[in-house]
Parts: sequence; C-alpha cells; structure tokens
Amino acid sequence: MRRSRFNQGKRRYKRKHYRGKPQGGKPHSKRILASPDSDHTIEHRIAFLGNPNVGKSSIFNILTGSHQHIGNWPGKTVEKKEGHFLLSDEYFSLVDLPGTYSLSAHSEEEIITRQFVVEEKPDLVCAIVDATRLERTSYIALQALELTENIALIVNMMDLAEKENIQIDRQKLEEQLGIPVLLVSAFDNSCIIRIKKFLYDALHTEKYTFTPAYLLYSQKLETMINSVSRQIEDRKILKDYPTRWLSIKVLEADKWVISKLEEEYVLDDMFNKIEKLKKSENFDPADEIPKRKFRALKGIVKKSCIGYDDFKEKLSDKIDKVVMHKFWGYPILILIYAAFFLITFYASGPIINGLDYLLTSFSEIVRGWLGAVNSPIFLTSLIVDGVLSGIGAVLLFIPIIVIFYILVALMEDSGYLARSAYLMDNVLGKFGLQGTAFLSMIMGLGCNVTGIMATRTIKSERDRLSMILTNSFLPCAARLGVIAFLTGIFFEPWIAAMLMLALYAMSFLLVFLSAMFLKLFLGKSETMPLIIEIPEYRLPRLKNIFHLTWERAGIFVKKAGTFIFIASIVIWFMSNIPYGVDSEYTIAGYIGRGLAYVTEPLFGFDWKMVVPLLFGIPAKEVVISALSILYYIPGSSIVATLRAAWTIPQAISFLVFQLTYAPCFATLASIRSETKSWKMTAVGFFYPLIVTSLITVVVYYSLLPFF
Amino acid sequence: MNTMNKKNYLADSTVNSIVKIEKITAGQKARRFLADLGVLEGVKLRIIKNDLGPILIEVKATRVAIGRGIATKIEVTG
Repeated sequence: MRRSRFNQGKRRYKRKHYRGKPQGGKPHSKRILASPDSDHTIEHRIAFLGNPNVGKSSIFNILTGSHQHIGNWPGKTVEKKEGHFLLSDEYFSLVDLPGTYSLSAHSEEEIITRQFVVEEKPDLVCAIVDATRLERTSYIALQALELTENIALIVNMMDLAEKENIQIDRQKLEEQLGIPVLLVSAFDNSCIIRIKKFLYDALHTEKYTFTPAYLLYSQKLETMINSVSRQIEDRKILKDYPTRWLSIKVLEADKWVISKLEEEYVLDDMFNKIEKLKKSENFDPADEIPKRKFRALKGIVKKSCIGYDDFKEKLSDKIDKVVMHKFWGYPILILIYAAFFLITFYASGPIINGLDYLLTSFSEIVRGWLGAVNSPIFLTSLIVDGVLSGIGAVLLFIPIIVIFYILVALMEDSGYLARSAYLMDNVLGKFGLQGTAFLSMIMGLGCNVTGIMATRTIKSERDRLSMILTNSFLPCAARLGVIAFLTGIFFEPWIAAMLMLALYAMSFLLVFLSAMFLKLFLGKSETMPLIIEIPEYRLPRLKNIFHLTWERAGIFVKKAGTFIFIASIVIWFMSNIPYGVDSEYTIAGYIGRGLAYVTEPLFGFDWKMVVPLLFGIPAKEVVISALSILYYIPGSSIVATLRAAWTIPQAISFLVFQLTYAPCFATLASIRSETKSWKMTAVGFFYPLIVTSLITVVVYYSLLPFF
Repeated sequence: MNTMNKKNYLADSTVNSIVKIEKITAGQKARRFLADLGVLEGVKLRIIKNDLGPILIEVKATRVAIGRGIATKIEVTG
C-alpha cells in the first residue's frame, strides 16, 4: 500500500497558497484543505525543530525514507534537509531544521530556525524532545511556543525512558503546554504510522487543541516586556514576528532582533533602563528570562511525569570512570582509534581487491568488444584507460570510505565520539584549539570534503577557518592508499607500520602547529570556552548508522567522485597526446621534465615521480595508477620496478611530499564554498604546498647521507 | 548545616557532590550558552568528573562538559 502511494509522488502536486497565521488572529482551529479544482492540491508543510541528539533526524529519516533532499540554506553554510511523505493522497513536506539548543541568535543555525518558523509559516512546527531528558530538551519547545501557535510536541525515546522507569502522562503534558503531544520511540516499528497519524490529526481534526501555554514572567519582567511592546507595536519591520517575542528578545539582548529594530526605533532609553537595573538591583533580564523559563518547565515536568531520579549514578558514569579517566582515557582513546584504522584498512582490502579484479576484467572485455568492432586504438584507449579507469578510481575508494564512515557513525551513535572530543580538548588546548575541532579532523581522515563540512560545528570563526584550511593535511583514504602501497613496497612490514604511524603523526602535528601559526594572521576572535553536551552511552542503532554513513560517504561520491572522474579523463589526454609517442614526449612528460629541474635538486624527484604528483593535485586517487603506467615495464611487476628505480631517501621523500602537498580539487571547491573567499581558497592551496616543500627538502637531505 | 553555606567554585568542587549554582560571573556569551544547556543560577548539579581538563557535570538529566576557565567563574554552594 505504502509503496503505491509513494509512487504517486511522481505526479505533480500543485502548490497551494498557504494560509499564514493572520496577525493577531485566533489560534488555528481547522484548516481549509481541499481545493475544488484538483484532488491533489493539498500540501502540508511541517518543520521539525529540537536539540541535537534527540532523534530528530531519525524521525525525519523514517518518515521520509528516500524522499529527501539535502542541500544548503540559501547563502548559508548550514545544511538544509527536506523531504516528504504521502498520506491519504495528501502531500506532507517536511523540513528538518538544524539541531539547536535554543532560538537565540548565537549561531546561524538558530537564526535560520526561528526565521523559518516565523517567515516561512509552516502549517505545523513539531518540536522533538527526548523523554529521558524531558526538561532540558523541552527548553527550545518552550521558546518556540512564544513564536508560533501551530506547534506540536513529539516526545521521543520512550523506550529508553521506560527502561529508566520514567512515566510521562501525555494528557497532563498536553494540558500544561496546550499543544498536541505524542509519545513515541523512533525505533518502534509502529512509530511511523503513529507519527504520521499524529501529524495528520494535528493538521486536520478537532482532536487536538492549539492553545499554547502563555508563559508569564515575574512582575518586573512583565512590566519591562510591556513597555518595550508598547514602543514597537506599530513597527513596519519584522511584522511577522509576535510583538511579545520581540520584546523578550530585546530584553535578552538578542543582537539580531535589536539591530533590526534599531532600523526603525531608537531603543537607547530601554537599554539605559536595563543598565541601571543591572547596576542597582543586580537584575539582568537576559539572565532572568531563561531562569523563569526553566522554572516553568520544571513545574510542567513535575506535574506530568514521575520517575526522574536526579543525580543517580548511571551506567554511563561507571563506564566513564575508566573511559574518561585522566590517565587511562588516553591509552583507551589510542587503542580505539588504532582499532578503527586497522578495521578500515583490513576490512576494505579484500573488497577493494575483488572490485579491482572485476573492474580490470570488465575493462578487458570492453577492450575486446571495441577491438571486435574495429574501433580506432586511440578511441579504445580513451574509453578503457580514460573513462573506465576514471569510474574505477571512484568505485575503488567507495568501500574504504563507506567502512570508515560506518565506524565513525558507530562511535558517534554510541556516544564515544563526543567523549574523544572531550579528551582531546586537553591536548588541543595546548595549541589554542577546542576539543570539538578534533571531530572535523577525524572526519577528514575519510575524505577531506566531509572533514571540511564537519568544521561547521566549531563555534569560533577563527578556529573554524584554520581547520578548514588545514584539513587537507590529514591524509584522506586516497592518500592512505598511496602510503600503504609504497611503504609496502619499500619496507619490512613492521617498519612500514611505524613509518605510516609517523606520517599520520606528522599530519596531525602539522594541523596543530598550523592552527597556532595561522592564528597570527586570521585576526582576533573571541575565545569561546568549551561547553559541550556529552551524550549518554547508547547501543548504536542500525538505522542511524545507515543514514549517517549514507550522508557522509555520499559527499565523497557526489563531490569528490565528479572531480576524480573528470580528472582521470584530463589526465588520460595529458599522458596520451601526442598519441603513440613515448610517455616522455607527451604533454605530461614535457611538464614533468620541466618541473624536474626544480624538484630533482630539492626533493630528489625525477620527472617520472613528478608526473603522478602533478596528476594527484586534482585527485589523489590517481597517484598509484599514474605510477603504474609510468613505471610499466612489460614482464616485470610494478613492485620490482619501483624498488629498482627509487632509492630509500627518494621513496621517503615522495611519501612525505604526497602526504600533504596539495588539497584535491574537490577539497579546494569546498574550501571555497565554506569560506566564500577566493583568497582563503588560494591560501588553502599554497600554504600546504609551501610547508610541504620545506619539510620534504629537510627530510630528503637529512636522509641522503645514510643511504 | 554549616557546610550548606560554604561558598565554593565549580572548579574546586569534589566529585559526586551535589551543588547549587549561586552565581555565574562569566561573560555574557558564555552565560547565555550555559543557560541553553540548563546551567543557570539556582540550578542543582552533580559533579561527575573533576580532575584534568574540562569538568563534567550532570544537570537536568544531561551531562555537560565545561571548560576549566568557565568553571572558575561559577560560584556554587553545597
């Protein structure tokens, strides 16, 4: 049944003009839905908001399935997730607003969230909260109540709450808040239909009432709110926003609201009054308002729930005694991450080999076909060695990327990732960075593009910028491939392992030192102290793992994949034109030989070593294949050929150089899109190149006397 | 009884003790962010970890890690 309905989604739905909430109108009762001219004109727009880690995205994912689209909010570097589902021939479009802790103006995410709620006027705003942490996670819902009347509450994670003997009285909670409430567990099989029905009923029927609780503050605050309200009542801007909400925000010193209102009003009087109060009575409305909200929440929770056993030592605490121990925490961290890399490496090996075999066989079959239809050799080579090997280069890296991000998702969903950020805060703090920067570094070890996207969670602008610029220092899966390949050729396994470890350590050290160095140029930025929520340990859920992996590995396939594919074809042209000559006399050969005049004395790279590095600039995935083409000698293996061709200092110098010399084009593109600055993109390219060149010269010349 | 009024800073609180926040003297931005996570004046919390690095507390059934610098600006009693 459901499938057939989903298929109907391909039909075109006319967009209905939305009846926004009229200014000062009564709370919505029943919506006029069916439009007479068509039977598919009904679209409901629902927005999900809530804290991070409450299962908001899980609910969004199970409702929309594959019907979702991930993009950016216009002009912002904040992810926008949209999706839809159909029920009773009606179209429910969902927007998953960014996970935030409040609706203030601390971050772009929070501004986007409240702007969407007010300016886009969704038919229903659905606040999603965690039953095990009802009070804290409902804070944002209480804020949203002041912003819109069309709001419902989904209390998720009821299964975990039941395990902790927490009982929530839905009816009482509904009465207290004055909005529809649903208690679910996103991992319960019946939850999909229950949530859909809840949303349907909330939008259609008289079953629920929408009379959001009106939160009264203290008398002093109310007087102040009223006084601001009177002043801004007849405003011409921000007309969609409730006056009371704006007044509250003015008192909370919300920069965004104040700067907008100041276009029309002079609010100096108000601020003078507040300043006076702060001084004379030690009364700051900006502190008082959240305090009152939490007090109200405490009352609501107390009246509708039982079983919140405050300050009881939980299992998570017991685990953390060891895992987050001031000493043992670090060996455990190293062990976990070492296991993480070994698993990625060894689990993906056989898959990659199998895939490689299939791809090579397929290429040969295609070559055979093309030969049979008398295709010109030039064309055959373009198709097989250019196009097909380009596709192969992308496909071959998918297993390692997918396994890597599955493991990241496992760590994230279980709660360990946040803890490793906590532990690393001590280490990173020495370099002026916060623990949260560590997460983007870990992500970058899969694919730098994903790593750069992950910097979005870093609060300090300056730290974020330096993490964006230095993420390419961290060897992505493609470079792991090169490192493993070359160290395996030149060294005994245990030396190879030590060398790999040293190379990774060097990458991290470069990121840390660069953060200190770049700080001198990126200007001053207020240092935000570390304040992060540490989630409780949870058994990872398959659905979450799947979605998290899908999203991150998807970034590699979509963004990096395109570049790798195009680069492979361009490289084919450069290394095959003029067609039929020795590789030395192709375009690539000429460029390589030209560059070798510089690289040979500096790093010991002859032209055959330069060309793969040149090709590696757009996409590191092609370095190995370029090496195997250039060093191809009929009847001899690439391993033997390379061993004979390179000296040990050359090999190490090559390994060091390829590790960090340049971000791939996909990474450069995301540096550009995240910083919105060509200047920073140029820095992102030349800074690693210069730093790596310097290091390589030192490494090469200090090794030379020993071999 | 006499321990009830002992003034202390969060950074100096002992593990597993339950304390009440009296005053937060940190900057406005940090104060606002703490408030979003339920860490505000008058709230009771439990110290989970306080040795090296950020202090880990339990507040309103959630765990929050707070940098040591900020923790020296949170006055507690209890």
